[in-house]
Amino acid sequence: MVPPAIVVLYFLKLRRQPVEVPSTFLWRRSVEDLHVNSIWQRLRQNLLLLLQLLVVLLAILALLRPGWRGTELAGNRFVFLIDRSASMSATDQMPNRLEMARQRVLELIDQMESGSQAMVIGFSDTAQVAQQFTDNRRLLRQAVRRLGPTARRTSLLGALELAAGLANPGRIATEAGDEQVADALPATLYVLSDGKFNDVESRDFSLGNLTPVFVPIGRSDTPNVAVTALSNRAQLASDEQRQVFARVRNFGDNEVTVPVELFFNDALVDADELTVPPNGSSRIVFDLVAAESGTLRLTLNHEDALALDNQAFAVIHRPRQKRVLFVSPGNDIVWWALVTERVRRFADVERMEPEELETPNFRQAAASGQFDLVIFDRCRPAEMPEANTLFIGTIPNRNGWEAESVAAPQIIDTDASHPVMHLVHPDEILIGEALALDPPPGSGVLIDSDRGALCAIHPRAAFEDLVLGFDIVRGTDDGQKLNTNWPLGRLSFPTFLLNVLYYLTGSGDSHSTDSVLPGQPVVLESARPTGQLQVVLPDGQREVVLADRHGTFQFHRTEQTGIYDVRESGDTQSRFAVNLFSESESNVAARVDDIQIGYVDVEGQTQWRPARREIWKSLLLVALGVLLFEWYIYYRRISI
Amino acid sequence: MPVKTSPLLPADLVARLERLELVTRKIFRGRRKGERRSKRKGQSIEFADFRSYVPGDDLRFLDWNLYARLDRLFLKMFQEEEDLHFYTLIDASASMAFGDPSKFDWARQLAAALGFVGLARGDRVKIEPLASAAMPPGPVLRGRRNVWRMTEYLEQLRTEGGLPFAQQIKNFCLRNSSKGIVVLITDLMHKEGYEVGLRYLSAQKLDVYVIHVLADEECDPAISGDLKLVDCEDRDEADVTISRPLLDRYQRSLNGLITGAKQFCSRRGMTYLQARNSLSVSDMVLQYLRGRGLMR
Repeated sequence: MVPPAIVVLYFLKLRRQPVEVPSTFLWRRSVEDLHVNSIWQRLRQNLLLLLQLLVVLLAILALLRPGWRGTELAGNRFVFLIDRSASMSATDQMPNRLEMARQRVLELIDQMESGSQAMVIGFSDTAQVAQQFTDNRRLLRQAVRRLGPTARRTSLLGALELAAGLANPGRIATEAGDEQVADALPATLYVLSDGKFNDVESRDFSLGNLTPVFVPIGRSDTPNVAVTALSNRAQLASDEQRQVFARVRNFGDNEVTVPVELFFNDALVDADELTVPPNGSSRIVFDLVAAESGTLRLTLNHEDALALDNQAFAVIHRPRQKRVLFVSPGNDIVWWALVTERVRRFADVERMEPEELETPNFRQAAASGQFDLVIFDRCRPAEMPEANTLFIGTIPNRNGWEAESVAAPQIIDTDASHPVMHLVHPDEILIGEALALDPPPGSGVLIDSDRGALCAIHPRAAFEDLVLGFDIVRGTDDGQKLNTNWPLGRLSFPTFLLNVLYYLTGSGDSHSTDSVLPGQPVVLESARPTGQLQVVLPDGQREVVLADRHGTFQFHRTEQTGIYDVRESGDTQSRFAVNLFSESESNVAARVDDIQIGYVDVEGQTQWRPARREIWKSLLLVALGVLLFEWYIYYRRISI
Repeated sequence: MPVKTSPLLPADLVARLERLELVTRKIFRGRRKGERRSKRKGQSIEFADFRSYVPGDDLRFLDWNLYARLDRLFLKMFQEEEDLHFYTLIDASASMAFGDPSKFDWARQLAAALGFVGLARGDRVKIEPLASAAMPPGPVLRGRRNVWRMTEYLEQLRTEGGLPFAQQIKNFCLRNSSKGIVVLITDLMHKEGYEVGLRYLSAQKLDVYVIHVLADEECDPAISGDLKLVDCEDRDEADVTISRPLLDRYQRSLNGLITGAKQFCSRRGMTYLQARNSLSVSDMVLQYLRGRGLMR
């Protein structure tokens, strides 16, 4: 209706104002000049009309809401689960899988009918709600764009539970039976992932009102080469020489030869070429000479889909000297076992008489956690020190510990799996008098006898108390007498004490690399009592970690892979490495067929139908532009 | 003789016109001897030249003294003083009523000034409006004492539509066969063209001055918007939307008209002068017309 109306209006000429002129002669001639027989001039004459018609046509077209391909998204509640685990950083989809997934979700959001609500959840090994249910698309888009990649592993279950918890409101139990807290509303659950997670067992999860749709991201034939392990340890001969072990895995169907480079403190120290069989792994060993503490970086010089796992990090550090306090009225046999060359490498052992237990000096030192281990030989403090403890022949002055004197117990069992009992076989030893222990609940019995437990370990806050229920020597009137033949000619006694020192001072064999998985919390230690530590992240950010009430430092921001520097008042105190080391994430071949969620087999929706593209906004913009142009032309015409 | 002052002839203008006289480049024979020294040699008291006697010459002009001295017959020639026929044609079509002062007023003033010069020098002055036949043709005037009659006549002239331009000129030529100076004051805004009319004038062997007067509003029209232009003469209407291109075209058309008229005139020995109504008449007479040789 409108275009003909415009034409009619256009031809209903406007009422012109009559003006008398001396002669129309010149004007006519001018107007005729203006109307020379050229199409352009004719067009010009009608240009305004044409432009007006164009504006109206564009507006009508925009009202018709033209678009192509794709359809509207049916339903009115959606949950978008976006996988942002390490494997989603793979670049087999340009620019990467996560970006692709985000793009898809943005398209889905565009397809949503107005008024429908959606929720965005990003998940890796944990799930987090990026945006609660809302019908505000701008918020949804922002939430999707905020989701960045992580180096974590994948677990779908947490995300599903989060989605289900919000989509299926819980029930409360009343006397009459279950009552719905709120109406459960059905929702469509979109899982955008490369499927690198375990199927969700039916006993763990039920979908309820959720209708799942699996949108696989990534290709199922993407090869990748990854470092799946990196460790180093001192060679047995000397502490100065170290060996670095690495395992490289090939997740492709072709054999690959990759150059492997080892950097020590960011300087190239060794390199080798490693051939990895298809779908197999190869090991490589580097010898590192005279390595003091520092950082190791192993790099595969290889271009593949996932760059995150082509590097691995490790830390070499000499453990700080531990402080051990030996409180005894006199026990040379134990003392000699504590001051061996081997022990001196990692611990300083001090000696103290039981009388000094009551001095303020000791109380203060014990309360401030200066010692890593305190050994009480036939004595016990009034208050437990802030340290691990070994009680010999006594029990701690704490609730829960009970003991009963027994004579000549026969050892019948040891817990060989416990590190303290590693390589210790106190089978044929004789014991005079002993305490049959009744440790508090939650304790581990390490040596059991026919009369009761002889050795037990029990955790106390951040510490552990180890109790040996029999004396090694007994003070009698005529000097010291052995209470057991354990120290005599048997290697298991010094081994036991060495194990105790290793275990309770937290030293261990320093071949462990302190590798942490991304996202895992780390407990940091401080050599000195302090309230805060500073951690320098691999990208140079600094974060202050405050001590919790137990005096431990919990650090959670281990999202990036690399070396983390733990500093105390500016000095590097220790380091730890965060590595991906996950075969499931490094194996980037995407799962495109189907996934199992509870009882439901969810087929992968490989045929992607892109969002319906609509152009009415652009049409309106063009119409506006034409309108402006028309105004300009008109203005140019009437301007003098 | 005191001159009656009129709005057409302010006293200061009269004072400046007193010393002027009309000049013609052509030789005309007046009906009466006027106060002008014509290019013709003739009978007057002012000696001009001698020439040899040829039979038939008036014996009264033989210089007997020379005959006595040289024994040859010479004829004395005298500068003939003659009067000049001076016509002023004022375009009285309706289009002349435009402008401030109107082109017609300006034309009357100019005609008065020129007429005064002619009368003051004893020329034969005739002012004729080019209008309908109903308007009485102007009286033939001679002598300074008739200045008031001239101004009186001019004052009562009005613009009105009438016969076509060419027809008017033709009528004028038929009525006034004698030769002389013609000053045509017109705006040349004639739909049917001015060429035919001017051709009649040139055929008369008159000394023609075409004074093309245009109002400022015509040169730079100050109008805008969507207009219906109405021709004041024939009520013809033209719908225009004033715009810069249209105004440019108008300027070009106007320039074309002026240039065309100038060329037309110069080809036929006419003197073309373009004037604006804002130009003062005294400047027009004392500078431009004098510069073009109409005055001396």
